[in-house]
Amino acid sequence: MKKIFFSALIAAGLAGRLCAAVAEDSRIFTPFFDMTLSEAAFLPSEGNIFSGGNMNTQVGLLAKAAEKHHLFGLYNFNYSGQGFTPQDSKQFTDRSMSHGFNIEYRRVFTDRIRVRPGVSLTREYRRTGANEVWKNGLYNMNSVGGQLAADYTFDEEKNGYVTVQYLFRKVKFPNYTDLLSEFQNAGNTAETSGGLQDQNMGQISVRPSWNQFFGGLTYTVQNYKNQKVVANTGVYGDSKQRDTDTALDFGFHHTLGIFELAPMVSYTIHASNQNFMLYKFLGDTSPQFGEKYYDFKELALSVPLDLNITSKWAVGGALNMTRRAYDKRTARDAANNFTSAKQVNTMTTLTGSIRKRINEVAMVRLFASFMAANSNNNSRNICPTAIPATASV
Amino acid sequence: MKRLILILLALFLVKSNAFATVDWESKGMQIAGEIIANPAGFFYDFQQDLEATTPLPPGKRFGFQMGLFPTLIPVTYTNISGKYRLHGEGRIAPGVPQLDLIGGYWDMLAAKMATKDSKSIDSAKFGGYYVGAIMSTSVSPRVRTFWGYKRSQLDASLKFKPGEEPTLLGTTVHSFDTGFKDDFFIAGIETPRSVGKLWSIQLNYGLKTQTFSSKVSWYGKYFELGLNIYPEGVLVVHPVWNFHLNF
Repeated sequence: MKKIFFSALIAAGLAGRLCAAVAEDSRIFTPFFDMTLSEAAFLPSEGNIFSGGNMNTQVGLLAKAAEKHHLFGLYNFNYSGQGFTPQDSKQFTDRSMSHGFNIEYRRVFTDRIRVRPGVSLTREYRRTGANEVWKNGLYNMNSVGGQLAADYTFDEEKNGYVTVQYLFRKVKFPNYTDLLSEFQNAGNTAETSGGLQDQNMGQISVRPSWNQFFGGLTYTVQNYKNQKVVANTGVYGDSKQRDTDTALDFGFHHTLGIFELAPMVSYTIHASNQNFMLYKFLGDTSPQFGEKYYDFKELALSVPLDLNITSKWAVGGALNMTRRAYDKRTARDAANNFTSAKQVNTMTTLTGSIRKRINEVAMVRLFASFMAANSNNNSRNICPTAIPATASV
Repeated sequence: MKRLILILLALFLVKSNAFATVDWESKGMQIAGEIIANPAGFFYDFQQDLEATTPLPPGKRFGFQMGLFPTLIPVTYTNISGKYRLHGEGRIAPGVPQLDLIGGYWDMLAAKMATKDSKSIDSAKFGGYYVGAIMSTSVSPRVRTFWGYKRSQLDASLKFKPGEEPTLLGTTVHSFDTGFKDDFFIAGIETPRSVGKLWSIQLNYGLKTQTFSSKVSWYGKYFELGLNIYPEGVLVVHPVWNFHLNF
C-alpha cells in the first residue's frame, strides 16, 4: 500500500551562487571563491513548521609556479541543515558540517594531457535534534586520502575532454559505537563496539564532457575494517562487510532561445553482503531474517527548466524524481512483519522559481517546492520494535 | 514581473487541507527554550550584525560604522565600529593585497536602565567587542575577494537583589554570568552594483565554537542593508541596517 507521508513542502528563501576563479596567464596567484547558500521554511503534512538551510563555501588559491607546474589548494566548508531527506538516510532534525582540505599538483605534459595527483583531508561533524556539541556527534567522521587524475582534451573548440580518476580514502568514525551491543554487554567495560563504521574506500571514474554534454561511469568500493556480516542465526560471522556502488550518469546544460535546460539522469546499483535481523521487541526470540537487505537499484531524474524573460529575470520550474527498488528487501506491513512484495520508495519534488541575476557574479532564486514521498513499506515503528542487527549510514 | 510573481505565489502558497496547522505556541516555547539554553549565543548573533567585516572601499583610508537595526533598535546595543587601512592593494609591491584593521565595541543600554529602575535586578552587564584584520585582493577589475580574522568577545551577567530572586522551574536564580569568545575565519567576495554602490557575500566561522554565519550586504556611501543568516541560531535570518562613513 502506498502512503504519502509528506504531502507538501514550501520553501522560500535566498539562494546565491557565485564564483570567481579565472586563471590569468599574467598572474602567478589566482584566488578562487565560490559560495552557495539557501534558507527554507518547511511545512510538512504532519508536525510543525521548521526551517533549514544549506551553505557551501569554497576558497582556494591557484599558484602557477612554472608554465607546466601548477599547485591548487582548496578549502571547502559545507553545512547541511534540517530538511526532508529520503528514507534510509537520517532524521529531519539532523545537521552536518564538514571541512575539506585539498591540495592538488597539476602537471601539464602537452596541450592535451594533464595529470593531477592530490591529497585530501576531511572533518565532518553531525548533530541531531538533541543539539549535542558538534564534536560529540555519534556519526562524526574523519577521512584522509589521495587521488590520481588525468585529463585528456580531445576537442579544444567545444571544450571536449575526458577525465579518468582514482581516489582512495581511509575513513574513521571516532565516536561511533553500537548501542545495542553495549546494551547487551552492559557488564563489559572494555571497548568492544567501537570502530564498526571505519572503512577504506576506493573509487574509479571515467567522465567525458563535450559541448556542455557530460556523463560518467563511477565504481566505488567500501571495505569495512571491523563490521562483520550477520548470519541468519542472528550471530555475526567471520566475513567483513563490503559495499559497492556502480553509477552511470548523463546530463547537459543548453540554452535554446529563451529556454535554459539542464536535465540529468543517473542510475545506481548498490550491492552489499550485509544482512538484517528484524527484532519486533526487546527479547524477541524468533527474529525475522532479511538476506542481502541493503541491495537496491536507484533511478534519479532531474529536469530543471528556466525561461529567460529578460537578461536579468527568469522564471523556472523543476521536476525531480528518485525511485529506489530493493532487490531482496521486502516491505513490512502495519504489524511490522515482512510481506512478499519487494520494497519500493519514490520521492518526487515539483519546484517553481523566480531567478534574478543581481550582478555579474551572483544570482538569487526564490522558490517554492511541493514534495511527495511514498513507499509500499507500511511499518512506521522504527525503534525500539525494529532493531537493526547492523548500523548503516 | 510583479504579475508573474503573484501567479507563482498563488500556485505554490495556496493553503490546502494537506498542510498541518502551524502551532505557533509550541514554536514560541521552542524558541524560548533555545534562548535559555544558550543566551550568549543568542545575543552574540546581534553582535555579528553590527560587526564591520567588509574591506574598506578602494581609495579610502579609514571608516566608521554604527549598527542601527536590529542592534541599536530594538535591542539597544549602543555601538561603534572602525576600520583603518594599513596599505592599499599594490601599494607596497604589485600584487600585494589591501590590508585593513577592524574593530568595534557595544554596550546594551537596556541592561543599564534595568539596573537603575528595577526593584529586583542588582546589576546587569551586556557588552562586547571585536578586533581583527581583513585582506582583500582583486580577481578582476570588478571583483574583489577578501579573507580575514577577527576575535569576538561577549560578556553577559545579571545579578538579582537578595530576596528578589525569581524562580525558574522550581530553582531560585540568584545570578548568571555567561559569555562568548572565539576566533573567526572570514572569507567573502565583493563586486560593484553601480558607481559608489557595492554588494558582498561572506562566511564567518568560529574556530572553537563552530559558530558560523553568512552575510549578504548591499551598501553605498552612507548605509548598508543586509541579510545575515545564522543557520544554527535562534532567529535564523536577521535583516540588518547599518550607517557608515568612509574617508
